[in-house]
Parts: sequence; structure tokens; C-alpha cells
Amino acid sequence: MKKEDTVKLISAEGFEFVIDKKAAMVSQTIRNMLTSPGSFAETEHGEVTFPEINTTILEKICQYFYWSLQYASGKETEFHIEPELTLELMMAANYLHT
Amino acid sequence: MESLLVRICIEAATESAAAVEKWRRQKRTLERMPSHLSEALLRHLLQRRLLFPSLLEVFKYSIEEIDLRGESCVDAEWMAYLGAFQYLRSMILADCHRINNSALWNITGMTNLKEVDLSRCSKITDAGIGHLLSVPALEKLCISETGVTADGVAALASLTNLLILDLGGLPVTDSAMSSLQALTKLQHLDLWGSEVSNEGAVLLKMFPSLSFLNLAWTSVTNLPNLSSLAYLNMSNCTIRSLFEGVGHKARMKEVMLSGAAITDVSEAFRYVETSRLHFLDLSYSSHQSFSFLRSMNALTDLNLSDSALTDESVEHIACIGTNIRYLNLSNTKVSSDGIGALFGHVPNLKTLLLSGTPIDDTAVSYISMMPSLKVINLSRTNVKGLIHQEGDSPHDVSSFSALKNLSHLEKLELEEVNITDAALFPLMNLDKLIYLSLRSVSLTDASLYHISSAPKLIHLGVRDAVLTDGGLDSFIPPPAMEILDIRGCWLLTKDVILRFCHNHPQVDVRHELAEALDKRNFHYSSPSRGTMRTSQQKHKQGKLSVSPHRSDDIFLDQRLRYTREELLALQFSSAAFSTSTHYQGN
Repeated sequence: MKKEDTVKLISAEGFEFVIDKKAAMVSQTIRNMLTSPGSFAETEHGEVTFPEINTTILEKICQYFYWSLQYASGKETEFHIEPELTLELMMAANYLHT
Repeated sequence: MESLLVRICIEAATESAAAVEKWRRQKRTLERMPSHLSEALLRHLLQRRLLFPSLLEVFKYSIEEIDLRGESCVDAEWMAYLGAFQYLRSMILADCHRINNSALWNITGMTNLKEVDLSRCSKITDAGIGHLLSVPALEKLCISETGVTADGVAALASLTNLLILDLGGLPVTDSAMSSLQALTKLQHLDLWGSEVSNEGAVLLKMFPSLSFLNLAWTSVTNLPNLSSLAYLNMSNCTIRSLFEGVGHKARMKEVMLSGAAITDVSEAFRYVETSRLHFLDLSYSSHQSFSFLRSMNALTDLNLSDSALTDESVEHIACIGTNIRYLNLSNTKVSSDGIGALFGHVPNLKTLLLSGTPIDDTAVSYISMMPSLKVINLSRTNVKGLIHQEGDSPHDVSSFSALKNLSHLEKLELEEVNITDAALFPLMNLDKLIYLSLRSVSLTDASLYHISSAPKLIHLGVRDAVLTDGGLDSFIPPPAMEILDIRGCWLLTKDVILRFCHNHPQVDVRHELAEALDKRNFHYSSPSRGTMRTSQQKHKQGKLSVSPHRSDDIFLDQRLRYTREELLALQFSSAAFSTSTHYQGN
């Protein structure tokens, strides 16, 4: 996997998730960060830090990105969410427009 | 509006009472949740019957708007929690029958509250109004059909920030009206069914911003000139004059005079500035002259159903036809000649309702030359679908084949007309048609077969027809179909309907026998409120226990067993029973 095709998402605790750019683009917010004109740090290094999103939630978000790509291509599986995570995940999803 | 992941999260959070227990202690997260998310979560909890008073506590800091309309469980305990919602702007409690004056006490001192809807909370009386007066920021208040009297209404005068006030069905008197003069910001005033007379109507001039006024079912006959008005409802009033008087004339946008007795219609409209009038409802009115329509060039919606309109008056509509999009002439004496006078003058007409008129197939050919039509109702007319050819031509020509010119036609109603299968044949060429409703005893399986080739059909009604089991079995519904209404097709048997439902689960079948099946198979995620109530009762009985009398037979459609009179009697007795238990409960 080439570096240009991936992005690094960094959680509040500093954990790094390297995922496909295509998957990250599921989030409208990340898409805007990566494609906006001008040389934002995010655009240049392909790195986005989320000081508000903890590691557990960010991991779930990444899983969702991949699930969403599959779902869009017609594979209908269920995306399971543990009830404990629903509130935090909902707020992260709201922030990420996904 | 919400994104997919937000929706999945809400579904997961409201899946069961156990799921709720998993997150309800996450207080800090709940406190900083954006209001639109917590409102969506709360709405889902309510729909799933998982909301109870003490759970409301967790939403204390995040909810700005709450809509509990029609929730019969909402009582003083709920209100005690809601009273603590610091940022609440809007509280809708319409039809919450358990709300009484003491429950309302909880809203005293809610400084951010701007909107309160207590419509039809019949236990609210003047004492409840006293509690409302301590919410000075109130801008919108709906207390229609409550137990409030004229004295309670007069007391509202101290809520000087009110913009919208709905007092429908309350005994508002002229003297109560004069107390309300302090509400100078008022834009919207609903006074239908009140005791306001012409004397009170004069006082309406004291509201300089009033743009919406509803005086339906009152004894007001002369409305003074209210220069800021744009929307007026005086349905079922006796009208002598409108806006007579000096000064700038109101530029009306919508006027509803359904069922109004207008002494002299030209005289009544003399002072009405109609250059911006786009909506006029004159249904159920008895006046004969329609020449006043000529000045209403901006009209887009015109309802003249059940009026004395005749073919001669149709020319007045044709004059102003350019902008008309909706025209309702149902149950008038307009015949095919009248429709002929209309054609060519209504280029933008989208909806044409002609049910119950004496039009015949000639009108269909005029109608098919009105290019923008989307919705047509030809129920209970003399339309037969066939035009008899002169001379020795052996075949009649189908009049519906002309409808294929209407490239936007989406909805067609042909109930209770004398049509045959052959006449319907051209309808399958209508490739935009999504709604078709037929009702005739002379239709057979052949109609069902033809129609199955209409590609976009979502709703199909073939009621009272001679459909057979074989016909339904071989019917392949169009791919988009959601509703098949075959009520009154008495030849069909339960097994065949059941098989059809099973083979085509996406289609909601409406039939006397299918309804019995539906009720037996209900499950509690159904969105319909009635079903949810039943399921809630089931919950109370305990999730797994099935009461012994719950046999399948009790869900049989009772209409099959009783006559109409017996059913009405039953309905009455059950209503009486439920009211009596209601009172015992309180």
C-alpha cells in the first residue's frame, strides 16, 4: 500500500490508525480536511488528530468506514454496536458527518 | 437528516431496556451531547416505549425541544422532571389527557420556555393559566379545546411577548377580547368556535402585526379592515362584509370560507385586495355568482367543491386559469361542457378533482389536453371509459387512451364509475402512474392482469371487483408496488390472500380477511401507535406469559360477524366503558 493512498487518524490518547484514504473519505469532515485547497497540515502529511475522540471510539469509527464501503457496494451485513459505546460513537459520527 | 452511523447508534441505544441501562449512567457524555442528537434519541426511546419519568433526568441539560403529543402516559411525574429541563424552549403536550393544573405547576419559572402546546388537554382550566403566567418569555401558546374559560383567556394579557395564540374552541367573549389588547406583538390568533361577535371583531384592529386570523364557526359577520392580515379563515360564518373601512387594504394570501353563508358575494369581496391571493376555499357555499373570481389573477389553489358552480360560471375560472395548480370542482353541477370551457386556459393545472360531477367521456378527452396534470379524480361520474362510435363501427373506442398524452400523470382515481376491463386497457401505457384506485363491480381478473404491466405503480386499489383466487394467484405485482387495496372483493379466500402476502412481503394487502391476518402477526416494532399500545400492555403482562384467552379467533374481523347497527352500538358501549375507567383512574 502506497503512502499516498493511506491516512493516519490519531486518537485523543495518541494511538494511530492507518487506514485507506478511500475508507476515511466516508466521513465528510475528513474528506474536507484532506481535499481542501491550501496547505493544511492534514492535507500535506495525510494525518488527522482528533483530540475529542478516544481510542475505542476511533477504532469503531474505522471499522465503520470499511463496513460502510461494503454496504455501499451492496453487501448487507449488520454493523453491531455495543450499547455502552452508542452515545460517544453517536457524537463522533455527528462530528465526522458520517 | 441524521447520518447513517448516527441512526445505527440510536437504534442500538434504544434496542431494549437493557441497552438503555448500559448507557444511562454516562452522565457527562449526556450533558455535553448536542441537542439535536439527544432529541433524536429521546424520540426513539418514546417510540420504542422505553421512556419513563426518571430516565428524563439524563436529558436535563441537553434537550431544547420536546414533543410528547398524544402520549397518554404523560402525567404530573413526567412534568416534575420536565420542569428541571434548563434549556427547554418548546414543550408540546397536545392531547396528553393526564395533564392537569397541578401537573402544569412544574413549568413555573422555566425562563427559556417560548412555546407551550396544551391543545385538547381538557383538564387544564383557569387555574392552570395562572401557572403559565409565570413564564414571561412565552411566544407561542396553544390552549384550544381545554377547560379554560373567558376569565382565563383575559388573564393571558400579561404574556406580552406572545406572537402566536391558539384559543380555538374556547368560550372567548368580546370582553375577554378587549383584555387581550395588550398583546400588541400578536401575529397569529385562532378564535374558531368562540363567542366573539362583531363587537369583538372591531377590537382586532388593535393588533398591528396580525397576519393570521381564524374566526371559523363564530357569529362574526362584519370583519373590519385589518391591514396586516394575509391569512383568513371564516369558514361556517355568515359573512356580510370584509375589510370595509378606511386605510391601507390587507393583501390577502389565503382565504378559507368553506361552508360560509355569504349574503352578497361580490359585495363581500369588494374591499378585499386580491392581487396576491393564491389560495381560496369556497367549498360548501351556496351563492350563485362567481364573477368576483375575475380579479383574482394570482390564484394557484381554488376549491369550489360542493358549491353551486355550473357550466356557465366556469368561464370565470378560465379567465384566471394561467396560474391555477389545484382545482377542486367535486360535487358541483359542472358537466363535460364546463371542462371544455376550461381546457386551453389552465396550462399549469396539476390537480383536477371532479368526483361526483355529471361529466362523461367527452370530458376525458378535454382533460387529456391539459398538459401539466399530475392528479385526476373522476370517481362517481358518468365516465365509462368507452366512446360509442357513430355509424357501423363494431367497436367502441376507449376514451382513456387519450390520457397517455399526460406525461406527468401520477395519480388517477376512478372509484364507483361504471367501467369495464376493456376500458382500462390503455391505462397500462401511463408510465408515470404511481397511484390508481378503481372500484367497480364489473371489473374482473383481466383488469388486474393489465395493470400489472404499469411499471411505476405503488398504490393499486381494485375494490368491490369480481377478482377470483386464480386471478390473484397469477397476479405479479409491479416491482414498486407497496399497497394493494382489494377490499370488498368477496370471492377471494383467506388461503389465497395469505399466500399472496407470503409471496410478496413488500406489498401491504388491504382486504377484510387480510386485516385479520395482520393483527395476528403484529410485532412490536411496528410504527403504528395503536399497535404499540397493545404491545405495551403485553409487556406489562410479562414478556413471556401469554394470557390463556389470547386465541387466534379473537382477531377475526368483527365486521364479518355483526351488522352495522350492532357495531355502532358496540363502539358506543366501549367508549362509555373507557371513559368511566378513565375517571376512576384519576
